[in-house]
Amino acid sequence: MRRRLGRRGGIALAGLAVVVALAAVALLGPVVLPGSPTAIASDRALRAPTPREPFGMDDLGRSVLSRVVHAYRVSLDVALTSVALALVAGVPLGLVAGYAEGLLDQLIMRPLDILMAFPAILLAIALMSVFGTGLLLVSVSLGVVYTPILARVVRAAVLVAKAEVYVEGARALGAPAGRLVLRHILPNSTTPVLVQASVLMAIAILVEAALSFLGVGVQPPTPSLGLMLADGRGFMLQAPWVVVFPGLAIMAAVLGFNMLADGLRDWLDPGVAAR
Amino acid sequence: MSYAGRRLLLVLPMLFGMSFLIFALMRLVPGDPAVAVLGFKATPEAVRALRETFHLDAPWPAQYARWLAGALRGDLGVDFRQNEPIGAMILARLPVTVELTALATACAVLVGVPLGLLGGARRGGGADRASLAVGLVGVSIPDFWLGIILILLLSLGARLLPSSGFVPLTEDPVANLRHLALPALTLATSRAAVLGRLTRAAVLDTVHRGYVRCARAKGLRERAVLWRHVLPNAAIPIVTVVGLQVGYMLGGAIVVETIFALPGVGRMTLDAVLERNYPVVQSAVLVIGALFMLVNLATDLLYGVLDPRIRLR
Repeated sequence: MRRRLGRRGGIALAGLAVVVALAAVALLGPVVLPGSPTAIASDRALRAPTPREPFGMDDLGRSVLSRVVHAYRVSLDVALTSVALALVAGVPLGLVAGYAEGLLDQLIMRPLDILMAFPAILLAIALMSVFGTGLLLVSVSLGVVYTPILARVVRAAVLVAKAEVYVEGARALGAPAGRLVLRHILPNSTTPVLVQASVLMAIAILVEAALSFLGVGVQPPTPSLGLMLADGRGFMLQAPWVVVFPGLAIMAAVLGFNMLADGLRDWLDPGVAAR
Repeated sequence: MSYAGRRLLLVLPMLFGMSFLIFALMRLVPGDPAVAVLGFKATPEAVRALRETFHLDAPWPAQYARWLAGALRGDLGVDFRQNEPIGAMILARLPVTVELTALATACAVLVGVPLGLLGGARRGGGADRASLAVGLVGVSIPDFWLGIILILLLSLGARLLPSSGFVPLTEDPVANLRHLALPALTLATSRAAVLGRLTRAAVLDTVHRGYVRCARAKGLRERAVLWRHVLPNAAIPIVTVVGLQVGYMLGGAIVVETIFALPGVGRMTLDAVLERNYPVVQSAVLVIGALFMLVNLATDLLYGVLDPRIRLR
């Protein structure tokens, strides 16, 4: 297995292992861990890490480990939902734009170009200012921000696949447009979409944390890694663990998805791997 | 038409679309903006007066036309809360954001390009693996966390650099640089990593080309081959990413300006969002978006300089 995958496949597997481990922590952690992420105990406020509480306690005496584990759920929830929404909207738009070209392509892609002309976090903040804050709205806002990116990736892949001999052959055999797109073009355009989706998951975790850190994302008492950093800033000198561990947790998740994306790209695209 | 003229013509409809999108978005805000600003305890007279002052009773298209016509003249309207001209508010804060972005870009280029060049030139070696690992970790570091850690270590811990505030360049250049050093480093780290990864890929695309082999065959030193033959030919993707990164830094400035309490446009935008000060949000988002677009235009124009064939297409 290892030999067939090569070093790059190994990176994809390592990334996948990190992502699966984090998902397991997010799913099982809250069941296994004894501490509550919201239980306040002022007598334990800012207590340093111990073998029993390896991440220490925050300013309200809540377990930082327990909060990080619960916050992972939020991070992964936002990442999965936003990318799923962007896939649902972006893939059909990119398919139609790439297959039809001409006026329809322009009608679809030009408005999406305008959305892409904003820095992602700025557009997300603007959307949050309109629709309000909260877990679902963060996911929807990020879904809107990512839709043009995925549409553009799919469109480019369709334009390449459309010119392939097997598509011309299927067309010559009289395959209708729908069948051409769904049976021949779409399956051969999945590699860049998979890679991009993985990159977007990493960015979604970062942006959700950034929005929550700024106060326009997930709202208390829902635990979020960004919120934990914002709350911990005031105590970081006397209790550095309140900012160090949530930050490392964000980094581990983002690193996992980035490794998965890198490995997938190199593994599935022999042209890149050969470099 | 000249290459520059064609590129500029493409930007105008995008700017128009951008202004329309922001305007429409702000009008989707549920409830009455006047009530949102004045609060639920405001008297009906006060709400009516605010609606009249800001023409909130006019139909949407008329409001948009008024705002757009003003924006074209450089008049972005007046702030709901302090009654200050928004254009002046943005102009006062823009130098901070522009200087921060420029410094961070310089740091990212100075670190990222040599890192990628080193990795790409010695593919598979120790330096390449190290540059790949640094790049992967660099793109995964949340900048707001890095900012906090830098404050903790270099500001509160070692007391080397200030953790917040701003001194204008014209007032005291040394103090200005000291105040911007940590924010620029925070903003630059992940961008340097992205740039390093892309430079490596661009160099790998170029090192096997015929002219590079020819340069080596002539007996040129490896360093001369890299700087004179490989880098100029790998420049287009690198410049593209630098341009995109400048745009993303304008967005990232919102976070960094908040952490380091810098009085820039990013922080002003966030404050306006939190205060539901929609005219300021609308204009600030338009200005940052337009800057992003202008940076992309400048990048496009630079392509024509780097590769004259592009101007002829």
